[in-house]
Amino acid sequence: MDVKLHKMRGVVNKLYERIDYLIENCPNMTAAPYNYNYIFKYIIIGDMGVGKSCLLHQFTEKKFMANCPHTIGVEFGTRIIEVDDKKIKLQIWDTAGQERFRAVTRSYYRGAAGALMVYDITRRSTYNHLSSWLTDTRNLTNPSTVIFLIGNKSDLESTREVTYEEAKEFADENGLMFLEASAMTGQNVEEAFLETARKIYQNIQEGRLDLNASESGVQHRPSQPSRPSLSSEATHAKDQCSC
Amino acid sequence: MERGSNYPNGADASAAAVPVKTTLSIVQERFKADETVHLIFEAYQIKGQEHIEGLLALVSSASGGTYAIISFSLLRTPLSASNDLKINKVFPINASFKLTTDSKASKTEQQFDLCTDDDRPTKYYYYSMRTDPVAVDFNEFCAKVNTCKKTMWDAELPSGAALNFRWLDDYREIGEVKHELKKRESEYIIYKDVIVYCATWNVNNKPCWDNKNTLRPWLASGKKAPDIYAIGLQELENTARAMLNGNQMQMFATQWVRKMLENLHDDMEYEELQSVRLSGIMLTIFVRKNLRQHIVRCRVNSVARGVFNTLGNKGGVAVSFQLNEASMCFVNSHLAAHMGNVAERNEDYKAIDDYMRFEENGPQVRTINDHDHIFWLGDLNYRIQEPNGQQRPGPMCDAQTFELMLQYDQLRTEMSYERCFKGYTEGEIKFAPTYKYDVGTDTYDTGEKQRAPAYCDRVLWKGKLIEQLEYNGVMEIRESDHKPVYAIFRVKIKTRDDDKYRKVLAEVLKAVDKRENDSQPQITTDRLNIEFGVVRFNEPAIRDFNVSNDCPQQVDFKFKVKDSHNDICEKWLHVDPRADSLMIDSARSIRVRALIDANSVTGLLKMICTAVDKCVLDILILHVRSGRDIFITVTGEYQPSCFGLSMETLCRTERPIGEYTLDEVKQLMLDVTPVYRVPMPREYFLLIDYLHNQRGQLFQSYDRRQPLSSQFNAVRDWLDSWSNDPFPGTPQTAAEALLLLLDLPEQALLEPFVDDLLASRSKADAERYIDLLSDPKRNVFKHLCLFLCEGVERGDYDANNVATIFGRILLRSSKCNVTIDYHSRCNEFMQRFIRIENPDTVSGGNGHGGASLQT
Repeated sequence: MDVKLHKMRGVVNKLYERIDYLIENCPNMTAAPYNYNYIFKYIIIGDMGVGKSCLLHQFTEKKFMANCPHTIGVEFGTRIIEVDDKKIKLQIWDTAGQERFRAVTRSYYRGAAGALMVYDITRRSTYNHLSSWLTDTRNLTNPSTVIFLIGNKSDLESTREVTYEEAKEFADENGLMFLEASAMTGQNVEEAFLETARKIYQNIQEGRLDLNASESGVQHRPSQPSRPSLSSEATHAKDQCSC
Repeated sequence: MERGSNYPNGADASAAAVPVKTTLSIVQERFKADETVHLIFEAYQIKGQEHIEGLLALVSSASGGTYAIISFSLLRTPLSASNDLKINKVFPINASFKLTTDSKASKTEQQFDLCTDDDRPTKYYYYSMRTDPVAVDFNEFCAKVNTCKKTMWDAELPSGAALNFRWLDDYREIGEVKHELKKRESEYIIYKDVIVYCATWNVNNKPCWDNKNTLRPWLASGKKAPDIYAIGLQELENTARAMLNGNQMQMFATQWVRKMLENLHDDMEYEELQSVRLSGIMLTIFVRKNLRQHIVRCRVNSVARGVFNTLGNKGGVAVSFQLNEASMCFVNSHLAAHMGNVAERNEDYKAIDDYMRFEENGPQVRTINDHDHIFWLGDLNYRIQEPNGQQRPGPMCDAQTFELMLQYDQLRTEMSYERCFKGYTEGEIKFAPTYKYDVGTDTYDTGEKQRAPAYCDRVLWKGKLIEQLEYNGVMEIRESDHKPVYAIFRVKIKTRDDDKYRKVLAEVLKAVDKRENDSQPQITTDRLNIEFGVVRFNEPAIRDFNVSNDCPQQVDFKFKVKDSHNDICEKWLHVDPRADSLMIDSARSIRVRALIDANSVTGLLKMICTAVDKCVLDILILHVRSGRDIFITVTGEYQPSCFGLSMETLCRTERPIGEYTLDEVKQLMLDVTPVYRVPMPREYFLLIDYLHNQRGQLFQSYDRRQPLSSQFNAVRDWLDSWSNDPFPGTPQTAAEALLLLLDLPEQALLEPFVDDLLASRSKADAERYIDLLSDPKRNVFKHLCLFLCEGVERGDYDANNVATIFGRILLRSSKCNVTIDYHSRCNEFMQRFIRIENPDTVSGGNGHGGASLQT
């Protein structure tokens, strides 16, 4: 009898705890300040071994990951950046490059605001496959998705197989942004990720990207000032300063 | 306990080196050399459904001179190393620290709360029995914690040591960006001096154009040019006519603003930031021109008092704004008049203080008290309530007289009783009472009422970092019965050093990013490839693999539904469980079952025809909640069987299907040339040949979802090897195999003419389409009809029954919206071909089919 009562009491207590937990974690009830104004979703695509995961690691950790194993699946990393004084959380999906996973990784393109398409400047075959990656990207993302072409391993100049000029031409023809970068040295890595974000942000500002579309790849989080301070809306104040 | 023995000195007996690692020594490893763990107490927490085992450690720091309770959760039990401990909360034992035992606690569920600062209390539970002999019991825990709190806060500080909790920062979790930035404010906040000039004057309905004199003695006093002016006027125009005429009032106000702007300090250029007026009460803020860009969120409002509390002949107006990181508020008020109305004045103050609200974007509002720096000026109307018989002061008085009079100042009295202006400060008054003078003179009221002099006009402030530089009345301005008053302040304005701020922000963001990336739940699988080897039709195979959680948090995983087939896996696979949660350090096995059966073989064959890698049976997506996805490849080589292959494909074989490789079968399936080795499939023929000699009702029902009979696989092998052995099963198994052979191919036997045949009205009509079928299909169909016809004739089969069963198979429709009479039409169609009206109908057909039945 005592054991039974004990058990029941435990259940009731757990229920109370559960309710507390739910209240604490319910976004509508607690005005938790967000760390950012926007979330942009990125995907990184390209042949196996071009250094997609290393680029991501270099961007999020500012470190080169030697002996990086093949990605069997989809990894993801985040970083908060600032564009135009707005905090933007990049949510970056790094996909497996193996051919056999191609069909599966296609399902991750949807809703990407930015696509980083990577090839290896020392392996021509990875460059030759770009058109097929580009076709997938165009077919599976929005017209407003920003596609950034990255020629990785720019530190390995001696074994280069793809010239900057021809890749630049390919990028221009297809309306892609382009940089050669090195996940090893970090050269241009930051730039590629940030340029993409700036372009997306610009698209939002210019109304080319519909934030309400479910697959825009951008979520807007109006930041909530926790107390009457820390704000930058000078123009707002000016507007309301009329007697 | 004596303070001496309890005070942290790093040599506490309980922390002395012990040869065997006790829990206490493991916990101690988490701390620095000058931090001592005094005791540990076993407590658990409940999150959702889960009990989280934990430890509370009472720790002191010699350098900080303070105690704290560190709450750990245990990642592994039993505890073997210090990294099995995860800090989940830190409670500094400071003045606000509370340990509350829950009155609801029973003997069986014992709980208490720990709470510090303005956090919500955190609930802990404990068992009545200790499991670790080193841990203390609850009473001892409470006693020690309370002693620590007492000794720290009641006793005097040791010389030179200021109590601090900075050492705890190393154990606190990184919070949200905003919170972190706030915490590190000192690293990027600097204070900039700003001169604020507050002025107030009750102008007694005198339009400013009457005023030929300069306002400079009032507004341009002080050596240094102010950065901000807040100028309050009262009784701008009090006549009822003007008050009812808004335009006229506005004109007066505009004139005044222009006049004031002309009379500000010469050394600087100013602009009007904002003016706000309630009837005759006006507040104008002028700011230095190049300060304007640093001011944001400027808001105004007013609270009307006076007649019916609405007319606004009394009341207050206010301006609120933010300068750099500091919020500022200026209030100009004209409170209730007359000596006796102290309570009304207090009421007016209270109403203005309570109801003044500045709208924010969104649901937030600011009140006056939400500002860092508040300046309250105006004709507050508090009088000097001197005891009777006291002499009024002469026109020129000395400071001593003022001091004497101020003893009876109502405002000071009320403030001392906290009946108004709570928290406000006023500077020393070294000037003459500001009211009431005969206009144009410095002489106190000689009129009929002979009002007593009073300090009606005042400037008060509230907030930190404000220093008053001057506070004065201006005698030489004589247009009103009030003298104007001004006060100059130096305010230290909280300002962000942008370079330092960027640096701190970058660090904070990086830390937050790192925390987020590092705290991603992780799951590991012991294999990424599930290999089934050879998989045969209707033979289930099972493979297990393990997933384990080796990250310091609970992990939820599930297999993701794939767009391509609207399920987590292909039809021939079954995964169990599809989703689960893994506690820290736990693992579980996941079972994958492959079964290529009647329901899935068609899909598999179709996939094999198109796939690049014929061995990949499927790719599963193992999704970790808020973490990564892992692709698990399921491989296996399907051993081809006749089941599921089309009649055409089977007619192309030159040896038993069991001797073909999957690649060869793929080639056969993709072949579209109308060249066949045999008129009808040998496998079909073998079954019919056997069934022909069997008696009895063999075709009673058919449902491809039903499990197959136990002898089915033997029959499968017999067919796939073109065996010469006797049939290895029962007649029922043969009937089952025949139906499957006809039913499983992707296309129904009578495709592509199913719709036409269903619509046909007569046998002759139908036969026109039958003749258009491919040779293998046509031959099989005709032969089958002959066979069924014989069976019906013999009396073994019920014509209606077999017509229903075979009709549905041969005329299987993939369309979902079959017509209502679909089933009866199927039956009708078949009946036409198996009824014994004219036995010659098929004898003229393909010779092979007809002849074989005679054998």
